[in-house]
Amino acid sequence: MVRHLKDCIRVCDVEKYYGNGQNITKAVDRVSFQVEKGEFVGIMGASGSGKTTLLNMMAAIDHVTSGHIYYDDLDITEMSADQLSEFRKENLGFVFQEYNLLDTLTLEENIILALTVQGKRRKEIQKICQDMMELLEIEDVKDQFPYEVSGGQKQRCACARAMANDPSLLLADEPTGALDSHASKVLLETFCRLNEMQRATILMVTHDAFSASYCSRILFLRDGKIFHELIRGERDRRAFLQEILDVLSLMGGESSHDTKTGLS
Amino acid sequence: MIRRLAYRNMKRFAGDYQIYMITLVVVAALLYAFDSLFWDKELGRFDQMNQMMMIMVGLATGFVVIITAWLIYYIIHLMMERRSREFGIYLLLGMKKGQVARVYIRENLMLGGIAFLVGSVLGVFSQQILCSVIDSIMRIPYSFRLSWDYRTWLMTFGCYAGCYLLAFFRCGFSFRKMNINELMKQDRKNEEIVEKHEEWKRILLPLAVIFLILFWGMFTHLNSTGEIILFLIGLVLTIYLFYTGVSAWIICYVRRKGKGIYQGQRLFLLRQFASKIRTMQFTLGTLTSLFTLALLGASVAFMFCDFENTALKAKFPFDVLIYSDQVQDDFQDEKEVLQQEADVKEMLRYRIYTDQKDQVNTWMLTHLEQYGTMYQNKNGKPDRKRVTKMLENDGTYCRYDTYMGKTDYNRLRKMLGYEPVHFEPDQYIVQTKKRLQKDVASIGKGIHLTAADEKTELTFAGVQAEPFSQDGHNGGDYIVVVGDKVLQRMKPYYSELAVDLKGETPQGLEQKLDALADPDDRDFSGHTVSSLSGNSCSGSDTVLVYTATNLVRDNLIPELKMLLASMIVPLFYMGLVFVCVALTVLSVQQLSDSSKYKFRYDVLEKIGLSQKQVKSLLLRQMAGYYLCPALLALVISGKMVLYISANFVRRTGVSSRVYTYFVEGTLLFMGIYLVYFAVTFLCFQRSIFLKER
Repeated sequence: MVRHLKDCIRVCDVEKYYGNGQNITKAVDRVSFQVEKGEFVGIMGASGSGKTTLLNMMAAIDHVTSGHIYYDDLDITEMSADQLSEFRKENLGFVFQEYNLLDTLTLEENIILALTVQGKRRKEIQKICQDMMELLEIEDVKDQFPYEVSGGQKQRCACARAMANDPSLLLADEPTGALDSHASKVLLETFCRLNEMQRATILMVTHDAFSASYCSRILFLRDGKIFHELIRGERDRRAFLQEILDVLSLMGGESSHDTKTGLS
Repeated sequence: MIRRLAYRNMKRFAGDYQIYMITLVVVAALLYAFDSLFWDKELGRFDQMNQMMMIMVGLATGFVVIITAWLIYYIIHLMMERRSREFGIYLLLGMKKGQVARVYIRENLMLGGIAFLVGSVLGVFSQQILCSVIDSIMRIPYSFRLSWDYRTWLMTFGCYAGCYLLAFFRCGFSFRKMNINELMKQDRKNEEIVEKHEEWKRILLPLAVIFLILFWGMFTHLNSTGEIILFLIGLVLTIYLFYTGVSAWIICYVRRKGKGIYQGQRLFLLRQFASKIRTMQFTLGTLTSLFTLALLGASVAFMFCDFENTALKAKFPFDVLIYSDQVQDDFQDEKEVLQQEADVKEMLRYRIYTDQKDQVNTWMLTHLEQYGTMYQNKNGKPDRKRVTKMLENDGTYCRYDTYMGKTDYNRLRKMLGYEPVHFEPDQYIVQTKKRLQKDVASIGKGIHLTAADEKTELTFAGVQAEPFSQDGHNGGDYIVVVGDKVLQRMKPYYSELAVDLKGETPQGLEQKLDALADPDDRDFSGHTVSSLSGNSCSGSDTVLVYTATNLVRDNLIPELKMLLASMIVPLFYMGLVFVCVALTVLSVQQLSDSSKYKFRYDVLEKIGLSQKQVKSLLLRQMAGYYLCPALLALVISGKMVLYISANFVRRTGVSSRVYTYFVEGTLLFMGIYLVYFAVTFLCFQRSIFLKER
């Protein structure tokens, strides 16, 4: 098991088909790319372009039809169900649009549970939990239940829970989808901070250009294929955002005919 | 379109809540089977006893209808909450409240109609099982009588429709109050866990535990009506507030960050459990009450079954035994009837004697465990005033002590197939009931009997405890057996005729013997009874006392079995329905949660739990949820059943151990429990995992 990524994640010739017989939908079509350790990668695309399917396959919660996904040298497409759940526990953290916090637990308890599942000891759990709450600025609301706090606080709690186990990869699926602009900004800055301070490797799926502008690299998906790639490099975020919008307008124009195929 | 919508909704609902459907079918089948007893010709032969059975079954049916109405109301209400968003969408589309209500009522009526039709078909077969059980209880040869009776069907339909009417009556208010915005937000309400004043609420758990300890310690000492009412109020409060206390205790423990929450998935389990019992506390209280009543009913039914199987035969050891309060009665009329109607092997006319003293009666009243200190003064001596009043008015014992000669006694023993008893002329023995054998063993130290010369003291030679018909015929509870010469100083008290018949006893023999008596001397069921004139008594049995003048065993036992069946059958009926209804509520709640809160288990998998771990978590979560009301019900009903069965064993003389009935009731209960638990667990798992494939 990888536990801490040393090198990179490699997605090699991955395909995902749904359906059978005549009625086959290609959700992901021979996609290959690499995510380096410590990178903040965004995946963009229109609805139905296959970005969530790709993320789910990288998260080992969906199977590839063909191809391989390597974490360093470990091929997760060859693993059994039990090995995969162990792998997820050891290496991955998740942040979703709908927060997916457990409604019967307070924010702090949501983080504690993720750590107890790992079998960590009480003192260690308390320390990590405290650090993460401070880092993500949710200490004031730690005893509140999810329904009692704002969307932004919920999402920051989801981040804290995802990061508490120091995962090899943080997977975020439309994390700002349910947030207002201010909360989105705070969350994305949190991602950047995690990426810079903790050297967290982050893979974020989004269809929002503003969110994507916080990434260091963006892969554009169309009809299940990688259509384009943008690297931020030394540019400032505004310039990068403009470039993203340009690509999107190009994609929107060309893809308007055939976005019905494929799933996201 | 509305019809199609209702039909499709009904199909989906039936698929999702199979357990509820099965319970409705079972209830309809049971209602049909029990209603059919009202028109059963075989049982009709027992006339008066059958009326008793009908009254008891009628009462049980009333309770079953109320509980089933509650189940239907509960499920309809639960589904309304869970489908509130859907109803909101109907209103948004422009449907009127009345139309939405009609769709919902229609789909529920379709569902109920299907369950009723299937149930009434199964009811015809259940009726056969019920009839065979009742026939075997009463030793009537079972005859297959598969029939469909329109009166039974109409009655069942009436009861079933009554359940739905009661349930809809309450739900009507909810529809009138519907509001689109409220409906759209309704499904989120359950997720809002309100935690206020938990430290204070926590005190309810120790209070409930203290009450339960008091309940165990003081239940048997409750004397006045006031005390009983206070205790019942305390019990109801305990049942309902116990869950608030448990939930508050868990919440405080989790908030305090107790050690346990850092192990495995305990944090999730504790929080899940606390939030579930907090939102369901009233329902869980009601379920606990239902389980308690079901356990009580089943245990008492097992008591009567045991009595019916073991003690009843011992109560009537003679083929025929006839009493006469006239000491000169030679039973000429009775003998003629017996000679005409039956094949008589042997007849023995004998007398019971008395010395016109009451020292043995007084000893019994002051030494039997069942009387405690009721007839004693503070110094432990007999309270003469009370004893005399009791002997003159109560009828448990004759006014004076009862004696029998050794020769008559041994002839009666021979008739019953017992070995003769030998003792010296200056000795005496006491023949008593088995249940009193231990108490009576020391009677020799407390009474002083003299021989015919009234000087020589007789010595006690022991106790015999074979069945000897001692509910007023051969004495009440006891008869002192003395040498024949001793009887010379005594007076005849009353006469008896014991008869041994060859082969089977003809049916209706007892009726013919009863017909010899004055109609004024007959009871409600047509049997001759003796007036309380000092030389008649009934003995101290309290559960089943039968004090007729004429006892014809083989005519009497089926009648008494019918009487017992009128207790046993409705108790099992109610117990079964109560348990099924309570378990259905638990199951439907769980299955409804399985779809609503599926995301919780998805999240657990995403944070690293394997499917196996999630399954084990589900098992523990459901076991806790199912066991909680059952354990509380076991604790409460346990004390009640043990108290009742201790009295039952003591007063009937059945040989079973006191805890037997509670164990039997619990096993039956747990058997049904396990079936519902297993089915719900499998459906829950399927709901969580199957959709992912």
